[in-house]
Amino acid sequence: MDPKLTELSQLFERFKAAMTRGDFDSCSNFLSQLKVMLTGFRSLPPLFEATPNAVHELTIARDIYEHAVVLSVKTEDQDAFERDFFQLKPFYTDAGDRLPPSPQEFPILGLNLLRLLVQNRIAEFHTELELLSASALENPCIRHAVELEQSFMEGAYNRVLSARQSVPHETYVYFLDLLAKTVRDEIAGCSEKAYDTLSVADARQMLLFSTDRELSEYINEEHPEWEMKNGLVTFQKAKESAPCKEIPSLQLITQTLSYARELERIV
Amino acid sequence: MAMTVSSAGGLLAMLNENHPTLKLHALTNLNAFVDYFWPEISTSVPIIESLYEDEEFDQRQLAALLVSKVFYYLGELNDSLSYALGAGPLFDVSEDSDYVHTLLAKAIDEYASLKTKAAESNKAADIDPRLEAIVERMLDKCILDGRYQQAIGMAIECRRLDKLEEAITKSDNVHATLSYCSNVSHLFVNRREYRHEVLGLLVDVFKKLPSPDYLSICQCLMFLDEPVGVAGILEKLIRSEKEDDALLAFQIAFDLIENEHQAFLLNVRDRLTQPKYLPAEPVQPVSTETESAQDANAATTEDVQMADGTQAVSEAVPASVPVVDPKEATYAERLTKLKGILSGETSIQLTLQFLYSHNKSDLLILKTIKQSVEMRNSVCHSATIYANAIMHAGTTVDTFLRENLDWLSRATNWAKFSATAGLGVIHRGHLQQGRSLMAPYLPQSGSGGGSPYSEGGALYALGLIHANHGEGIKQFLRQSLSSTNVEVIQHGACLGLGLAALGTADEDVFDDIKNVLYTDSAVAGEAAGISMGLLMVGTASEKATEMLAYAHETQHEKIIRGLALGIALTVYGREEGADTLIEQMTRDQDPIIRYGGMYALALAYSGTANNKAIRQLLHFAVSDVSDDVRRTAVLALGFVLYSEPEQTPRIVSLLSESYNPHVRYGAALAVGISCAGTGMSEAISLLEPLTSDVVDFVRQGALIAMAMVMVQISEASDSRVGAFRRQLEKIILDKHEDTMSKMGAILASGILDAGGRNVTIKLLSKTRHDKITAVVGLAVFSQFWYWYPLIYFISLAFSPTALIGLNYELKVPRFEFLSQAKPSLFEYPRPTTVATTTSAVKLPTAVLSTSVKAKARASKKEADQKEKAEKSSATESTSGKGKSSGDKDEDSMQVDSPVEKKAEPEPSFEILINPARVVPAQEKFIKFLEDSRYIPVKSAASGFVLLKDLRPSEPEFLSLIDAPSSTASTGGASATAQQGSAASMAVDEEPQPPQAFEYTS
Repeated sequence: MDPKLTELSQLFERFKAAMTRGDFDSCSNFLSQLKVMLTGFRSLPPLFEATPNAVHELTIARDIYEHAVVLSVKTEDQDAFERDFFQLKPFYTDAGDRLPPSPQEFPILGLNLLRLLVQNRIAEFHTELELLSASALENPCIRHAVELEQSFMEGAYNRVLSARQSVPHETYVYFLDLLAKTVRDEIAGCSEKAYDTLSVADARQMLLFSTDRELSEYINEEHPEWEMKNGLVTFQKAKESAPCKEIPSLQLITQTLSYARELERIV
Repeated sequence: MAMTVSSAGGLLAMLNENHPTLKLHALTNLNAFVDYFWPEISTSVPIIESLYEDEEFDQRQLAALLVSKVFYYLGELNDSLSYALGAGPLFDVSEDSDYVHTLLAKAIDEYASLKTKAAESNKAADIDPRLEAIVERMLDKCILDGRYQQAIGMAIECRRLDKLEEAITKSDNVHATLSYCSNVSHLFVNRREYRHEVLGLLVDVFKKLPSPDYLSICQCLMFLDEPVGVAGILEKLIRSEKEDDALLAFQIAFDLIENEHQAFLLNVRDRLTQPKYLPAEPVQPVSTETESAQDANAATTEDVQMADGTQAVSEAVPASVPVVDPKEATYAERLTKLKGILSGETSIQLTLQFLYSHNKSDLLILKTIKQSVEMRNSVCHSATIYANAIMHAGTTVDTFLRENLDWLSRATNWAKFSATAGLGVIHRGHLQQGRSLMAPYLPQSGSGGGSPYSEGGALYALGLIHANHGEGIKQFLRQSLSSTNVEVIQHGACLGLGLAALGTADEDVFDDIKNVLYTDSAVAGEAAGISMGLLMVGTASEKATEMLAYAHETQHEKIIRGLALGIALTVYGREEGADTLIEQMTRDQDPIIRYGGMYALALAYSGTANNKAIRQLLHFAVSDVSDDVRRTAVLALGFVLYSEPEQTPRIVSLLSESYNPHVRYGAALAVGISCAGTGMSEAISLLEPLTSDVVDFVRQGALIAMAMVMVQISEASDSRVGAFRRQLEKIILDKHEDTMSKMGAILASGILDAGGRNVTIKLLSKTRHDKITAVVGLAVFSQFWYWYPLIYFISLAFSPTALIGLNYELKVPRFEFLSQAKPSLFEYPRPTTVATTTSAVKLPTAVLSTSVKAKARASKKEADQKEKAEKSSATESTSGKGKSSGDKDEDSMQVDSPVEKKAEPEPSFEILINPARVVPAQEKFIKFLEDSRYIPVKSAASGFVLLKDLRPSEPEFLSLIDAPSSTASTGGASATAQQGSAASMAVDEEPQPPQAFEYTS
């Protein structure tokens, strides 16, 4: 076997060991080494050269990136998630027909959908969705994300929050927590537009907080411009939108006159 | 099966990794895939840019290259270029991709514009060294790859004369490259100083070559105004042992002559060294000829002697060989010939003979005009006289005047002036006998009996005869000018002097004319103003300010106008050099001075198609308050654009629909001037509606312009020519037509058949130099709006359309060549005919009858065909025998044989016999026969071509006789040499000076 490949597999084994141990620092260390090593293989995307060990190499590379994605969820690092996911994606989209399907594929795709939902990048969410085959949509992991999005769009926020109980995969929990916050932000945004004031109790209920303290913490953190006194939450209406522009009448008049003069001159 | 990635997302994500190896990996791969994934990458450009800006990142250049490519795909070429420069060596100029091509073009444009800007503001260029490096790399690569034309173009554009030189010297065919280069520099280099630099460089390169192309060198030197260099070359050539070199020298001289730069030519001539051996008798005429400027009284006789002298030398030299060094003797002989050519006399003489012998003017047209114009209408009367003069310009045929002396005598006062001056146009170039021809009308010292009008006209006529070659007559004109104080005579003398001394900047003459100007007489002052301009053409001398000052001083509008035009003439061809003066004139209070400013713009930028000048003119055309200025501004566009006639109709098309008739008039003339002689379809389409304009003077201008465009275009190549001729006839015959448009129609008929149908209006010589005389001629001609006698100036713009082959003796040998086109395309228009039945009672309105015309045409066609058949069969038989001798017997045999070829298709070629009419459109069809006895020194399809005789031992047959005055001696010999019905008619001797006729009024 190719010594480089052997080295890679050994390193990968140590990475997996570290991951099961929960030693995330050494994990990311190993991961970075792994990635550098991967750049040396010409069978991987984007080159896809047909080397003798191509299938094996592709499989192991895919495995590494899948682990990297999971690791990023565990370290709660969304940027790393995005990065690793994009690097993983060609293995699914472009090399999919040459490799045995990965058991992790759908959970990871679902995770990505969730991430987009959390980051409120709905357009990209749908783009991703369109790229999936009909059969993939049947997969529980994907369906879960799709249903979440639907409830989210409908405004059925309670359903979104209750979905946390029915996660298809343990890694989803992290994103669902985040989603709860996204939902709250949405609600906050809406109520700000809809109401001038709300009673603290109503606001608490609406923003799905269990205690007033949580509410005030939230307000301090996210919306310092809101006021909370006398049992009322006052939403500082955003300042009047920019005053409508004045028509530069004088300028227009002179312009038109000069056009008329020019016209007279020319013809 | 190769797989590809479907998205660059993975690679882009990798850019965000911390490890530099990963970033590098991502960059490398992105760079490879950028052609497919640039839309995706474009969203991540900021990341890549930050990589480029990261000082610690060791592959910054790669990042720059990638960004550059993305920007290229986004169409942001400026950003793309600046990043490509950042990519340094990674940007591979030899790569064959759209990206590289586009960016290189951009880089070169950028570099060129920077260099130009720097050169124009006289500052050292602040140019990115990286940009310079790229351009240099590109130039070097072009030179290495052998794409020299590209390299030359770029080097010129970028003002890299060092590279230009390198490209030329390294090219495999240096001669071709050089001629390409000089061509390019004329066409595309707009700034005069820079063009001079380029040409200077070209001359240097030319001189370094082992076998220099003297023709091109001399053209360049001429442009650079370096007579010393030209004289040196010519002298070297005629000192050479070989006859071919001498032929070449003659050819160069003829080519120089064509550019009509009198001062330059005189300078060259004077710099040729005299032969060491001076045979007392034969060379004497040469020396007296130079003296003749001082010796006014002897001018006439010497002019004649001059021609004789040429022969005398060639005959005398062999005789004196035993006595002197034969080399010097040949040199002396050749020098005489060369000087003859340079002074323009040889070419003028040959042209004159050609125009006389091939004259095809149709007197019937004139007769029709004469009979249809009302007797009392002096405008139409003199228009007819103008038309006659133009029709016969340079042909020396004054039959019409002779036959209608009574009618002519109706011309009084200024009409008489023009009638007399018309003789000058008819006899234009008749240098030897011009003076004696005009003698009866010239002011007689002492007696003072003649009418001042005819005397003034005669002086003007002398100027026209000697236009631009006035060495011999200048003195006489000066005397006449100073010896009179009649303003009409002064007027004629001033114009004549200006014409004769065109562009010589002679101080004495200038002072004489200035004295006339300061008499502050309106009539004389106007002519003096123009004359001063003519004298100082293109010198940009200080005199212009003096003239401008006087123009402000005087009260006479005429004088101001004359001076304004004169000032404009002085800046002829100076381009940017004239800007201060133009600015001064165009901002003046006085509309007449502004009007002169328009002419100054026109002449300073004549033929440059300079955008700045066009913009300025268009501005004045729509914004000035004076109609005169607006009209002139539009008209001036014609001068600026004549080197690119295709442009003019497009540019003035809007103006031609202006509400202002003056602007429409200007638009018509602008098209007429710039498209003169081209027969361009767009030009005709633009002018057609104007010929039926509602305003009479617009119709006049349009008719004249149309005639200028259509001159020498046959009906076969554009059917509208025929329609136009019929239209002219209709206007002339129509009793109710306005005088103005009638005059236009009469003049147009004259221009349409100008110079016996053997001349065209040409403002550019074959080497694309401006023909200064022609341009000046047209500029002054366009003044006829104010002063009809100036119409005659159009004759300066006529150039004969002929191919005249000359042998070593500068004689015209019989020589055949081929025109590979249908003869009908370029034939002369058929003469009009009068129906015999109606001649007695009716006026020639009968000519209009179509049936008669058709019949006439049919019979004519038959005759033509017969003639053609004869000709072609004759040549077939001769070439079949492998001989090119024009044996008379053989020919007559052919004539005798019955010819019945009625329905024969028109042949697709035509054999022409030297000298032959070759119209400009025909030039591309001209081929020299391969087995001919003569081969041309340079391959040109028109003009004067020196022929190399391959069989010098055989006897030569000459076509044109070379001795205008001594008819008896040569007449017999040449008559036998002549054949072909067309030519033989005209073989007769040169015309005798016509008998003087007197006005009976």
